[in-house]
Amino acid sequence: MLDQATIICRCEEISYEEVAEVIRYGARTFDDVKRLTRCGMGPCQAKICMSLVAQVIHAETGRALPEIPLPRMRMPLSPIKLETLATNRTSFSAVKSVLDEVEPEEGMR
Amino acid sequence: METSYETIIIGGGVVGSSIAYHLSERYKEGLLVIDKKFPMSGTSGSTQAWVWVHSKTPAWYAEFSMYSAELYPYLAKKIGDVEYKRTGGLSPFFREQEREKAKRLAEEYGKIGIQIDVLSREEVLAKEPFFNPRVAGATFSLLDGNVNPFRLIDMYMRTAKKNGVHYSTYNRVTDIRRRNDMFIVVSEKGTYASKRLILAAGPWSRELGKLIGINIPINQVRGQILVTEPLKPFLRYTISGLRQANNGEVLIGYSMEQAGFDRSTTLDVIQETANLAIHYVPALKKAKIVRAFSGIRAMPEDGLPILGKVPGIDNLYVAATHSGVTLSPLIGTLLAELLLDGETSLPIERYSLSRFA
Repeated sequence: MLDQATIICRCEEISYEEVAEVIRYGARTFDDVKRLTRCGMGPCQAKICMSLVAQVIHAETGRALPEIPLPRMRMPLSPIKLETLATNRTSFSAVKSVLDEVEPEEGMR
Repeated sequence: METSYETIIIGGGVVGSSIAYHLSERYKEGLLVIDKKFPMSGTSGSTQAWVWVHSKTPAWYAEFSMYSAELYPYLAKKIGDVEYKRTGGLSPFFREQEREKAKRLAEEYGKIGIQIDVLSREEVLAKEPFFNPRVAGATFSLLDGNVNPFRLIDMYMRTAKKNGVHYSTYNRVTDIRRRNDMFIVVSEKGTYASKRLILAAGPWSRELGKLIGINIPINQVRGQILVTEPLKPFLRYTISGLRQANNGEVLIGYSMEQAGFDRSTTLDVIQETANLAIHYVPALKKAKIVRAFSGIRAMPEDGLPILGKVPGIDNLYVAATHSGVTLSPLIGTLLAELLLDGETSLPIERYSLSRFA
């Protein structure tokens, strides 16, 4: 049984009570709960708390479990080193730097 | 049967919720905020949330951003701690030729009272010891910083509600009509009437404007961001491209793509973002990435905010912009003044929708 002090999210140490509070405040999905409490934002990326949060939403709102949307899963599915992702290229197409965008002449207007 | 309000705001993100909160400070008549999902589920919750002033152009837009940054410390006193930190902002360059451009920027900003220093390699490394020693220099401003966007919007919303503002979430607006002097807002959960209407829908502004027959020329750009595992504090400044949050996570990203409303993350941009991070801060290469996310940002056709009265329709207002986090305290303040006093303490004519006519 979950009680008020039960830790729902171990990574961010979020309790049942904290999750229930934001649901009473209007959160309806896992992702709403996540943004309001950080529940699910830690290293495990919601793998542990996903179904527990669904249970809390069900308990607080009466919404049927199959109707509660799953969290948006994001890549990478498990933590990965930055250097593993990097390609060593130093020219960027979509990625900019601030000074690239600056046109100081425009400031003269 | 419809419910009546004095003012309805469509959009509960950082801009809509700031307006709701600032109005509610002075005004206790019926106020309703309608959001198609839940505040933070769109643009406002998928950002690095820099409060960024330096390197905005033209200079008068930087000045406008500066006034907003100056409001942040007071905001925290009024609505609670939003984890605003005025860290100072560092925008690096890697080629010596860019120093001239940086100096011109600093000179231009000096005229409007924004101090920007152009740093040497040694000065950059003294400020940020983990920065790539191959850096040529950087522009630096004390005004820049960052905020926790979730705390910010949550506190705007909680304080607005405390002041009597109603929120209707998961409620998409499907039609807007005029009846006599009233706006009739038709939504999935009901129909509401109001005397005044504020459109604050960020990247959805163009679609929303069409419902009432006006053109709000705002497009979408996608930005992808990587988040590392929590690291011990080692970055002091808000760097254009990455920052370290209070809990130790580093948020990395400075990408812009045309992708409509597609919020996917893509491997090519993630790889480029990883390259950028390692290029800026080589020590990050061993840091683990726990997630990637992307956000759709509002991009007005000329890049500048669209604020104020909608010409030709009485009591209709628009507030839609890029850099909503930076500008939110100022936009909330000015729109509240415009609605309650009929004039604003800073001129906003420049930002009128009429410039596109």
